[in-house]
Amino acid sequence: MKNIIIKTLLLISILAAGTMLTGCGTKAESASNGELNIYIWTEYVPDSVIEAFEEEYGITVNASTFSTNEDMLAKVKSESEGAFDIVQPSDYMVTQMYEQGMLEKLDKDALTNLGNIGSQYLDQAYDPGNVYSVPYQGGVAAIAVNTSKITSDITSYADLFNSDMANTMVVLDDYRAVIGMTARSLGYSMNETDAAKLTEIKDRLLTLKDNIKLFDSDSPKSALISGDCTAAFCWSAEIALAMEENPDIKIVFPTEGAYKFMDNWCIPKGAKNYDNAMKFINYMLTSEAAQLVMAEFPYLNPNTVAVAAMGSDYSDNEAKNPPQEVMNAGEYLVSLDNDTLAVYEEMWTELKQ
Amino acid sequence: MKQKMKKNSYGVVGKIYCSLIYAFLFLPIVVIVVNSFNATTSKPYLSWKGFTFDWYLKLFENEELLQSFQNTMIIAVCTTIMATIVGTLAAVGMYKYKFRGKSTIDALLYIPVVIPEIVLGISLLTLFAKISIPRGMFSLILAHTTFSIPYVIFNIRARLSRYDNSIEEASMDLGANRLKTFFNITLPVLAPGIAGGALLAFTLSIDDVIVSYFTNGQTMTLPLKVMESIKSGVSPDVNALSVLILIGTALLVVLTQSGILKGKKNM
Amino acid sequence: MNKRKLKSTVIPSSIMIGPVVLWLAFFIVIPLLYVFIMSFCSIDEYYNVVFKFTFTNYKGLLNSNYLYVYAQSLVIAFITTAACILLAYPFSFLIARTKSKKKTLLYMLVIIPFWTNSLIRIYGWRTFLGTNGWLNNLLQATHITNHAIEFLYNKGTTIFGMVYCLFPFMVLPLYTAIEKLDGSLLEASSDLGGRKAQTFIHVVLPLTASGIFSGSIMVFIPTLGYFFVSNILGGGNSDVIGNLIQRQFQSGNNWPLGAALSIVLIIITLLLVKLYQKCGGDIENLGV
Repeated sequence: MKNIIIKTLLLISILAAGTMLTGCGTKAESASNGELNIYIWTEYVPDSVIEAFEEEYGITVNASTFSTNEDMLAKVKSESEGAFDIVQPSDYMVTQMYEQGMLEKLDKDALTNLGNIGSQYLDQAYDPGNVYSVPYQGGVAAIAVNTSKITSDITSYADLFNSDMANTMVVLDDYRAVIGMTARSLGYSMNETDAAKLTEIKDRLLTLKDNIKLFDSDSPKSALISGDCTAAFCWSAEIALAMEENPDIKIVFPTEGAYKFMDNWCIPKGAKNYDNAMKFINYMLTSEAAQLVMAEFPYLNPNTVAVAAMGSDYSDNEAKNPPQEVMNAGEYLVSLDNDTLAVYEEMWTELKQ
Repeated sequence: MKQKMKKNSYGVVGKIYCSLIYAFLFLPIVVIVVNSFNATTSKPYLSWKGFTFDWYLKLFENEELLQSFQNTMIIAVCTTIMATIVGTLAAVGMYKYKFRGKSTIDALLYIPVVIPEIVLGISLLTLFAKISIPRGMFSLILAHTTFSIPYVIFNIRARLSRYDNSIEEASMDLGANRLKTFFNITLPVLAPGIAGGALLAFTLSIDDVIVSYFTNGQTMTLPLKVMESIKSGVSPDVNALSVLILIGTALLVVLTQSGILKGKKNM
Repeated sequence: MNKRKLKSTVIPSSIMIGPVVLWLAFFIVIPLLYVFIMSFCSIDEYYNVVFKFTFTNYKGLLNSNYLYVYAQSLVIAFITTAACILLAYPFSFLIARTKSKKKTLLYMLVIIPFWTNSLIRIYGWRTFLGTNGWLNNLLQATHITNHAIEFLYNKGTTIFGMVYCLFPFMVLPLYTAIEKLDGSLLEASSDLGGRKAQTFIHVVLPLTASGIFSGSIMVFIPTLGYFFVSNILGGGNSDVIGNLIQRQFQSGNNWPLGAALSIVLIIITLLLVKLYQKCGGDIENLGV
């Protein structure tokens, strides 16, 4: 009778031992110069770049991903200090995090490649003097239209609320983005706090419900490419990638001025591998790394040296490299107070039920 | 004659009905198998670009995927061992001894079984965050063991209800001490229940999504890796690994099942 | 005498019971108590939990949006359970009363799909049901329809996914209950002139009711929490209670509110289990 237990355990342990062997075989080579735990956006930093960094520096990189700034903030807070060495907050989230004392100051001396970044992207209001952050990539949340399925002329965020768009759209699963877009379609700021205006925004937002087929922040291009959705409100680069798969898809920059963003490299308080983190950030600032990034995730890249090296195919592509006037017309998010966010949260819940 | 025909037509309808249900259950598996042979390399990996075996080889180059599989197995093995030890002791102890608070323990055991997993997940998350247990392999093992213990106990208890106390007494009468009796008499009799409980703990651990989702830190298990890959389209190598695991589990269970069946006959 | 009792029962029993008591106390009782306490806590301006007593979180739950999601979640769970019973009952009956040797195989075939990760199988449905998915391609190729039918991303698909995920939990208890049915009883009833329908209502149904009850509990309760099904197949348009909780512990980052939502979910669960026991269900039938 005993041999049944033995048999079961034996089988399980053989299976386990087998997997451990295959695992060890692949993982053992690197890891001589320590580790680096990075927490990044989904579909944003190519594996190839991370692997190139691991090879060059002998540092093992453990990457995990998040879908919204708020998810990231919640996770970093709930983890014990030092769980992550690098995070990737957007503009307003950088402010929010350093105000809460959640970020380490960056060692400027280690950032030898900072010169590759165009000066128009440095010293922004969300982090004056780039004390805590270095820009990675940015862009706008634009509109995608599959012109073979949608014939009406879409030029603005407001057009997305038309009833002929019923059940066609994939939109970002991000309440600041969608509510902000609604506000802009009414001519208000994305960071509206006025109660009366918020009520108006809410009523408007609920009319969007019938038009939304899918909420997806991670890979809205998938639904566009697969044909599940024929219009989108999503990140410009996602649209650029969908356009490469399906030439019927067009990008539209809203006439109201778009929701713009810039994502940044930051080091959270108490990071265990600060020096490795600085090496990584500095590596990502090289022209070579930035070019690899753009080849896979074509966002607006502040690395002007690398953009020049990519040639006019890249810099003239509106979806990949949104024109300066689009960026100038755009608006950044700013962090809001709890009471306002509670109102936002409430209308979001009502939209998603 | 008429009666027979009627019966036959019932039989046919029944067969069709059952086939439809099986089709419903297996259709996604078919999709997974087919997609594991899809030669496409562009996300979201939906359009069919021809047949290839490549993914079954490429999967062994995907370090992250293998790492997550390895993590899953380590966690499952540790969980199985811990849940089986704690569960076996508790099941036997609760059967043999009367003590105050027994019904409370009983009630508590049903909590992880009955409440939605998400509640267990967030409650462990808040605890781990409060007392700063680092999230990772260790916290996952603790969490998985927590929801596995009751299943192990229930499995063994089902076996114990048919257990004859007198063998144990006989053994003690013959001069064997308590420990010896436990290992030589009690344990072997309970073996099928223990093995069944262990297998259940193992299965629950390798497939857990929700509790792991809240307690994993940066440690990736295979189900969480799948969850992440769903965000941008499940790549064919993930499908290929799933197919291999399905085949592996089927073999494992066939082997252990035949062992248990044989064991039953010997008893 | 006392010493002997100590040696003969107290020590061995504490060795055996001790670990499980400690484990339950530390990983079930304390965390749940902590969630309960947290549900009365406040948050500061940065959404950190502050131990300041408040009813705000529970008041917040009375908001019509949350009530709507609770109601919707219960409706989804109810439809899922009903669909599972209707689909699984005849099926379990057929496989449990099979006389052939294939019975074990038929039974195993229900379980085998569940050895593959549930997420990837749900994703398989998404591939199958998409606008340009397998089913639409088939329907269009055979000219049954001209346009693609939009199957995905609504309440219907969420319920469909729930039924798929939880179907075996309905089959297993039903199978056990039906297998225990005494064949001679059925014959006796029909011998006594009972018609098929009568036999079913007066004999079969009462005898298998325990299976239906425990299956229902095992389907209904998880449905309330399976946020990933409504995320993957519902497209975020058909939240269940699990989605609300998940959001508060993630992007919403309001743990006390999430804790209050969880406490309400626990209460709903306990009420259901009580109802189940009232109906004569045995709690021991759950779980295994």
